[in-house]
Amino acid sequence: MNIVGISACTSGIAHTYIAKEKLVKVGQELGHNVRIETQGTIGVEDELTAEEIKNADLVIIAADIKVSGKERFKDKRVVEIPTELAIKAPKQLYKKIEAELHTNK
Amino acid sequence: MEVKFEDLDIGKVINDDLIDLELKSTTKLGVIQELTHLLYKNHCINSEENFIQDVLYREDQGVTGLEKGIAIPHGKSESVIKTTLAIGRTKKPIEWESMDGKPIEVIFLFAVRKSDSNTLHIKLLQKVATLLAHEDILNRFHQVKTKQEIISLLLKNT
Repeated sequence: MNIVGISACTSGIAHTYIAKEKLVKVGQELGHNVRIETQGTIGVEDELTAEEIKNADLVIIAADIKVSGKERFKDKRVVEIPTELAIKAPKQLYKKIEAELHTNK
Repeated sequence: MEVKFEDLDIGKVINDDLIDLELKSTTKLGVIQELTHLLYKNHCINSEENFIQDVLYREDQGVTGLEKGIAIPHGKSESVIKTTLAIGRTKKPIEWESMDGKPIEVIFLFAVRKSDSNTLHIKLLQKVATLLAHEDILNRFHQVKTKQEIISLLLKNT
């Protein structure tokens, strides 16, 4: 699957980036193409392009605060989780998403 | 100022004066105080009291214990003079809320200036955070014997 997403945490210093790394790394191991935009204390980095969003099968928002630019994902299937879940159990997260998408087909 | 990720040298935010592999504290607050004192002694913060307050404020917002005995408390604070990082290891595991429910032995205390125009240092801390997403690296922080080994581990992998 092509997956895009956003990560953002309370102070935008650590959890944001750990969550991103885990989502990308584990996603790739499971055969997905994952791109995550970070909204941290120094602002937006690795901003998602319109093209990437258009081609995405799924959006994951791993955030503990309100993220900006959610309207970019209208018409998309969006999964919203706290950063802790992305850090603690990324594999289970993907498995659950895969299973749900499968049954909804 | 545009900074290239690969140009970043972690040595700019961490040195062996900011590492203590033999923390004496046996409580979470004690560890935070001990590492905060290290930051103060090295002129990275101008008030231990204010910095600790901001670190504890962040603790209230959510769990900073990751997995495998590693915790990343952090304070974004007016008291921070230089955005940096102090690293400590306790003699025995201490009680600390964590994602896998395990006690904590290795602590990365991030100190970030409230309004930091120097994105370079924040990016360096980001690189350290990114590193902490890798389980094999987390394990190695328990095994290192010297401060220099910690720095090399960070240097090699960031």
